[in-house]
Amino acid sequence: MKRSTRRHLRDGGLYAVLLVVVVTIGLSADWHAIRVNFFDSDTIKALWPDIVTIAAVNTIKYTVLSFAGGLALALVLALMKLSPLRLYRWLATAYIEFFRGLPALVVILLMAFGVPLAFQWTPPGGNVGAGIIALIMVSSAYMAETLRAGIQAVPKGQTEAAASLGMGSFWTLVSITLPQAIRIVIPPLTNEFVLLIKDTSLLSVGGFLFSQQELTSFGQSGLTSYANATPLIAVAVVYLVIAVPSTRLVAYLESRQQKAAR
Amino acid sequence: MLIRPTHRATFAAAVLSALALTATACGGDDSSSAKDTSAGPDLGLISAGTLSVCSDVPYPPFEDFDKTAPTGFKGFDVDIVNAIAAELDLKVTIKDSSFDALQSGLALNSNQCDMAASAMTITPEREEKIGFSDGYYSSEQSLLVPSDSTIAGIGDLAGKKVGVQKGTTGESYANENASDADIVVFPSDGEMYAAIKAGQIDAILQDLPVNLDHQNDPKAAGQFKVVETYDTGEEYGLAMKKTNTGLIEAVDKALTTLKDNGEYQKIYDSYFATN
Repeated sequence: MKRSTRRHLRDGGLYAVLLVVVVTIGLSADWHAIRVNFFDSDTIKALWPDIVTIAAVNTIKYTVLSFAGGLALALVLALMKLSPLRLYRWLATAYIEFFRGLPALVVILLMAFGVPLAFQWTPPGGNVGAGIIALIMVSSAYMAETLRAGIQAVPKGQTEAAASLGMGSFWTLVSITLPQAIRIVIPPLTNEFVLLIKDTSLLSVGGFLFSQQELTSFGQSGLTSYANATPLIAVAVVYLVIAVPSTRLVAYLESRQQKAAR
Repeated sequence: MLIRPTHRATFAAAVLSALALTATACGGDDSSSAKDTSAGPDLGLISAGTLSVCSDVPYPPFEDFDKTAPTGFKGFDVDIVNAIAAELDLKVTIKDSSFDALQSGLALNSNQCDMAASAMTITPEREEKIGFSDGYYSSEQSLLVPSDSTIAGIGDLAGKKVGVQKGTTGESYANENASDADIVVFPSDGEMYAAIKAGQIDAILQDLPVNLDHQNDPKAAGQFKVVETYDTGEEYGLAMKKTNTGLIEAVDKALTTLKDNGEYQKIYDSYFATN
């Protein structure tokens, strides 16, 4: 037997195994039960269009606000952590360890209820605003470590070359170090973005007006109205529709940028 | 390009063998599912002789944790379920679940529990998909406000923030009768009570017993009061799989017996007696 024939036989066998698994699962599943419980067409019609115009829009809005705020705060923290001043380094480390260790849900609860109780002051944007501030505080702790690693991964020769050209340390950071660091940390930051999309579902503990609902709480309300699990599947699909294109877009930009950098 | 034909041939052989295999796999599957249904004789229980109950705990006084109780739980629903199980000569196990799993029917349809006993109101929407026992408790709604509030009733709620629990009768009652209020939806009573204490909402509209608990909260004595109650004509029911008519009938019969012999009233009075 020729070696290529043998390989084709082996590949065919592997395809056959996959097909057996797929067909077995497909035939042994109770499709009627699945359809009734998870894909009820009347329910899907009733969810439209609020699932997009209210729920998806709010999820995107909360995610972008938390991510932008978190990234800005993370940059400050990362620079503090790399600072020559010991107190700054110590403060940044304490902040990062504290908020990385706390569950986001608890931080949201403390911002939404604890702060108003303690100071008779409600953060801007009410409970949702308080929750977004909490998500910014938590996500910045994660992103600060990512940014720090990225900045440190830029070869020392770069800053040394800038210094030898007479460039000050601020301009070296802004025009030499940070642009290269950002390129390095794009994949982990994309991860953080996708995690944040789903973390916005935690905001509901602070309480939502109807117009403030995000996808998860919208789906959970749907469970009540229609007494089956279709709304959760529907919002899961919308989550995918939001998350997958945004990560693919970043992957595309990344590959283009890396080609350009060469 | 030359390898194409061989590839196709192996693939065709693979498809044929796969189909032959799945045919046998399906045969095996059918016989096992036939065995499942014969396990519980009349009542279609998940494990014969035991009533497996799911409940979203805590929601006092209907369900709460109790380490000393044999099931690990206490409350009005728990006592009612225990009494029904005693009538039917069944043991009881209770599992803490999320209300979402219960009201979507998932916990019942996926055979995680025979019954959901969780202060669940019988609504037309739920009845379409879930089987219910006869009602066992009239769910009266109520409005709780801080004692120094100017709100005296549902008519004063315009522009005020009123807290409701997601997926409850209180939520739909507020949507229908206080549409000019800002209705803030919370995952559960725990967050809602924290919110009114923090001054984030002006009132809570929910089941009367829970609001009464807050009014009589020894840690917040005199801070909150129930200003209005509403009879919605709705009742709590024990939820079961819609197709399990045997169990639903048996539970209804047991409930009737308990109401006739005074046992139900005894349990009711131990939680809701007004003196």
